[in-house]
Amino acid sequence: MENKNINDLELSTILGTASDEWSNDKNNVVQSSTFRLILSFINLYALILIALFFMVKGNLVLGINNNFLETGFSSVLNSRALLIFLLLISLNISVYFNVGFKYICLIMMVYMINSAIDNAVLFSSFMHLTDRPYISAFHVTRPLFIIALLWVFIIHKDKEKITKN
Amino acid sequence: MFHYSELSKFFWLSMSITYAFCLSKLYTYSTIPELNVELNNSVQISITMKLTAVRLVVVAIVLSVFPVILFRFFKYAKYFTVALTAWAVAIYIDDIFILTDIIQYPKSGLIRLIESFRLIMIICLLWMSIELTFRQVSVGLQYGK
Repeated sequence: MENKNINDLELSTILGTASDEWSNDKNNVVQSSTFRLILSFINLYALILIALFFMVKGNLVLGINNNFLETGFSSVLNSRALLIFLLLISLNISVYFNVGFKYICLIMMVYMINSAIDNAVLFSSFMHLTDRPYISAFHVTRPLFIIALLWVFIIHKDKEKITKN
Repeated sequence: MFHYSELSKFFWLSMSITYAFCLSKLYTYSTIPELNVELNNSVQISITMKLTAVRLVVVAIVLSVFPVILFRFFKYAKYFTVALTAWAVAIYIDDIFILTDIIQYPKSGLIRLIESFRLIMIICLLWMSIELTFRQVSVGLQYGK
């Protein structure tokens, strides 16, 4: 044990390198509490929106004039609800594995803006805010949802950034 | 620093095709004879023309902004291109699957010809996005050395 100090040094160097190269902690990027809060809001908003659509479609919400569903709006909402649900699943998977989150977030943001423009152009003639207050509430607050998506897009911490630091 | 001069010829070719498609679409819809639309002036066609006009305004803005982002703010070009690709795909899905019973394009040969090239433009945009996102760069350049 003459070279105890050297061996210790070597050992610590090896362990140090190993912990740098192979540590599982390095892959676990801890997102900020703001990020988690906004992501929860996004999930909650989208799920309530989808649930509300199916409730209206199933005639479970009283006091709503459902005639507008016969104008072709129903099939549009149906497809959109399905697509938003798929995008939401993709968003959560990308957050869990921390892979491609920014791209999924960007795609969801673009999709929401596009559907908002489409709805405004196509259905503005027979959509009145007071007719269907539950659905109108979601149409009016949609910018909030888009801002939330933009916010998580900005504050999300990438795996690459952490590795570089 | 990863620079636009490192982009492949396919990227520039894809960009040219995309620009050609968008400009020809702008030209077609801005010069379409009003008589042609009015003769078939069903509600569906007028709604479609309204929607197309809104989309073309966005396209015109994007066409003028994209070179600025590519040459001046290259760091953000990949996000911008991915967003454009997502928008093109979303519009395509909307037109073909979601709004198929609601909108109807005018029965003009030129419009049908332009619309048939839409998939090619989406493929070009996809290629641009993939190249900007996954293109390998030399290690020395990556960290600004």
